[in-house]
Amino acid sequence: MPFTTVAEHKTEHLSVLSADGSFDASVAPDISKEKLLEMYTVMTRIRVFDERAIKLQRQGRLGTYPQILGQEATQCVPALCLEPKDWILPTYRGQGSYFARGMQMRYSLMYWGGDDRGVQYPKENNDLMFSIPVGAHMTQAMGLAWGEKLKGTKNVAVCWIGDGASSKGDFHEAMTFAGVHKLPLIMFIENNGWAISLSRKEQCAAETLAQKGHGYGAHSIQVDGNDPLAVYKVVSEAVARGRAGEGPTVIEALTYRISNHTTADDASRYRSNEEVEEWKKKDPLDRFRKHLLKTGILDDAGIETIQKEAEEYVVGEVKAYEAFDKPNPLNMFANNSEKAPWHVIEQRAELEEILKEKQIRNEIPELPAAEGRFP
Amino acid sequence: MKNLLQGINEGLKQAMEADERVILLGEDIGKNGGVFRVTDGLQKTFGPKRVYDTPLAELGIAGAAVGLALTGLRPVAEIQFSGFSPPILDQVICHFGRMRNRTGGRNTLPLVIRLPQGGLIHAPEHHSEAPEAYYCHTTGIKVVMPSTPEDAKGLMIAAIEDPDPVIYFEPKRLYRLIKGEVPAEKYSTPLGKCRIAREGTDCTVITWGAMVHTSLKAAQELEKDGISIEIVDLRTLTPIDIEGVIASVKKTGRAVVAHEAPNTGSWAAEVSSLVHERAFDALKAPVERVGSWDIRQPLFKTEHFYIPDAHRVVRGVNKTLSRVGAVR
Ligand SMILES: Cc1ncc(C[n+]2csc(CCOP(=O)(O)OP(=O)(O)O)c2C)c(N)n1
Repeated sequence: MPFTTVAEHKTEHLSVLSADGSFDASVAPDISKEKLLEMYTVMTRIRVFDERAIKLQRQGRLGTYPQILGQEATQCVPALCLEPKDWILPTYRGQGSYFARGMQMRYSLMYWGGDDRGVQYPKENNDLMFSIPVGAHMTQAMGLAWGEKLKGTKNVAVCWIGDGASSKGDFHEAMTFAGVHKLPLIMFIENNGWAISLSRKEQCAAETLAQKGHGYGAHSIQVDGNDPLAVYKVVSEAVARGRAGEGPTVIEALTYRISNHTTADDASRYRSNEEVEEWKKKDPLDRFRKHLLKTGILDDAGIETIQKEAEEYVVGEVKAYEAFDKPNPLNMFANNSEKAPWHVIEQRAELEEILKEKQIRNEIPELPAAEGRFP
Repeated sequence: MKNLLQGINEGLKQAMEADERVILLGEDIGKNGGVFRVTDGLQKTFGPKRVYDTPLAELGIAGAAVGLALTGLRPVAEIQFSGFSPPILDQVICHFGRMRNRTGGRNTLPLVIRLPQGGLIHAPEHHSEAPEAYYCHTTGIKVVMPSTPEDAKGLMIAAIEDPDPVIYFEPKRLYRLIKGEVPAEKYSTPLGKCRIAREGTDCTVITWGAMVHTSLKAAQELEKDGISIEIVDLRTLTPIDIEGVIASVKKTGRAVVAHEAPNTGSWAAEVSSLVHERAFDALKAPVERVGSWDIRQPLFKTEHFYIPDAHRVVRGVNKTLSRVGAVR
C-alpha cells in the first residue's frame, strides 16, 4: 500500500497596508471612519503613554516596566473588535488593550508603581488582570470561552500571548480543549520576534506559529501585526466565527519589540541594531498615519490635534497617578478571602501594632485610612 | 572580595571545568548570561553545547533535566524566578525524589535546579516569593540556600557533585548586596551542615537565605538592650543539620525561626516542631516563628511590611524572652 495524504493544511498571511500607506482594497476590512479614528487615537495615546512611562521609570517614579513601542496595533486593534462583555486576557505588556477598553492609564501606572490598587478596569467590562507567569492565562481563557458557550451567550474570549508563551504546555492544553468543544476562543499570538533574549527561530522550529493551530482543528492564520487594517480584518472574522459557534481561531500577528524586554533588560546583549532599525521602518503608527492622510480621513491638522490631545491626556493621567495617597500597608489584608480566617485576623492586628510602633519612632509617616474589604 | 552572584558563577564555572558532564540549561542563561547575570560569560567559555538557552517552558526544562541526568550528564537548570517554578513541581514531586527508589537504585538523578528566591527587589508580582517549603516537603531531594558568597560557591559545587537531585535556592536580594572572601580554589561546602553566623547566649535564631542578614541586623538592635542572640544559618534546609541546630538551642534555651515565607505550613513549622521534639527539656519558652503574613504577597510599595524586617525578628525574640512562667 502506498503512502496516502490524510490531511493537508495551509497557513495564509494577510497584509493590507503597504509601507507608504496605500492599501489593497480587495482584502481591506469593512470599517467605519469613526472606527479608524478611534484606532488611531488609541494607538497614539498608547505610544505617548509608553514614552512617559519609561521616563517615569528612569526617574524612579515607576518600577520595572515592560515597553510597548511597536506593538500598538496588536494591543489596541483586537480590543476594538469586541463588545464589553467579551473577555480580554492581555499580557503584562498589553496595557494598550486595557486602554482601548477604557481603563484609565493612571491605574496602569499605579500597578507598575508597585501599588495593588492599580487593577481597575471599567466595571461593565469583562477584562481580566494579566498573569505575570507567562502563559498561565491560556487555559483560563479557554475556560472563559467554555463558560460563555455553556451559558448560551455569544461572547468570545481573546487571549494575547507572546511567541515565547506559545512554547508553554498551556498552549497545547488550551487549544486541545477549545478545538474539541468548538469554543469561542481567539488565541492571539503577538509574535514580536523575541522572548527576552531568545529569538523567534530559537523558540520553535515551525515556519510559522499560526500553523500550530491546525493541530487542534482551529482556524489558523498569520497577519501583519503592524498593519491595523489587516489585524482588524482577521480578528473581526475570528470573532464572528466564535459568535457563530464555529470554534477557536489561532492568529499569529507579526510585530516587533522595538525596546528592551523591560526597563531591567539590555537588548544590545543579544540582538543587532540593524534588525531593530529594519523593523522601525514598519512602524504601525507611521503606516496607519500615512494611510489616513492618503485616504483623506485625516489631514495634518487632524493628526496634530490627536497627538496634542493624547499628550494632554497622558499628562493628566500621570498627575492623577501621582496624586494618589501612598497605600496603607494594611490594604494588603483586604480581599484575600470572603471571610478572613483567625490567623489572618491576628496577623493584621499585629501589623497594625507594628505600624504604630514605627510611627512612634518616626520611621514612617502618618498613614491614610486602610482601603478594601476586611474581614 | 566577591558578591554572592559571583560566588555562584565561580562555583558553576569550576564544576564545569572539573567535569565535562556538567551542562547548564534555562531561559536566557546563555547569550544574555541570565536575567540576573549569574551565568554571565559561561556560554562564551564553554560554548552553546554546554550552556543552553531553552524555549520558554519550565516543565520542559525540569523534565529535560531528568532525561539528561538519566543519560549520565549532570544538568544544572535555571528557572528564571522561583515564582515561575510551580509548573516544575510535576517533575519534582512525581519523579525527582522517586526515580532512584522506583528503579531499585538503578536510575539516579544527579541534577541541580537553581531557583532565585525571595523578595524586596522592587519587582512585579511572582518575582519575590519564598516557596522553599513546597520543595522541602518533597521526599528524596535536598534543598539548599546560601547566605554568603563563600557558601554560594561551595554549596553549588557540592550540589552539582551530589548523586541525588538538589534544589539550589538563590536569595536574589543578596546577589549584589553581600560581599565576602571566596577562596579561589575549587572546594565544596558540605550539604546537611549548618553554620553559626553569630554566637550568642540568650536565644537562637534559626534562619536561612536573606533572613540571615535581617537577623544579624536584629542582633545589633537587641545587643543595645543587652540581649545576645545566636544565629544559625541552616544552609541546607533538608536534610536539616539536626545536631547543629539542637546544640545551639540547648546552649541558649530559646529559639526563634525567621524566614520569608508565610508561616502556615512553612519550613519554619517543621524546624519549630523538630526543636520542640528534640530539645524540649532545654527550652525555657516555646519556639516562635517570624514569617510573612498568610496572604498574597503585595506589590513592592508595601512589600517591606509583608516580609519580616529586623524589627519583627526583634519582636519575635522579645516574645520568647518575655514568656510569663517560661523559665522552669
Ligand atoms: C512562566 C514564566 N517563565 C518565565 C518568566 C520570565 N519572563 C517574563 S517575560 C518572558 C519572555 C516572554 O516572551 P514572550 O512570550 O514572547 O512575550 P514578550 O515578553 O516578548 O511580549 C520571560 C521568560 C515568566 N514571567 N513566567
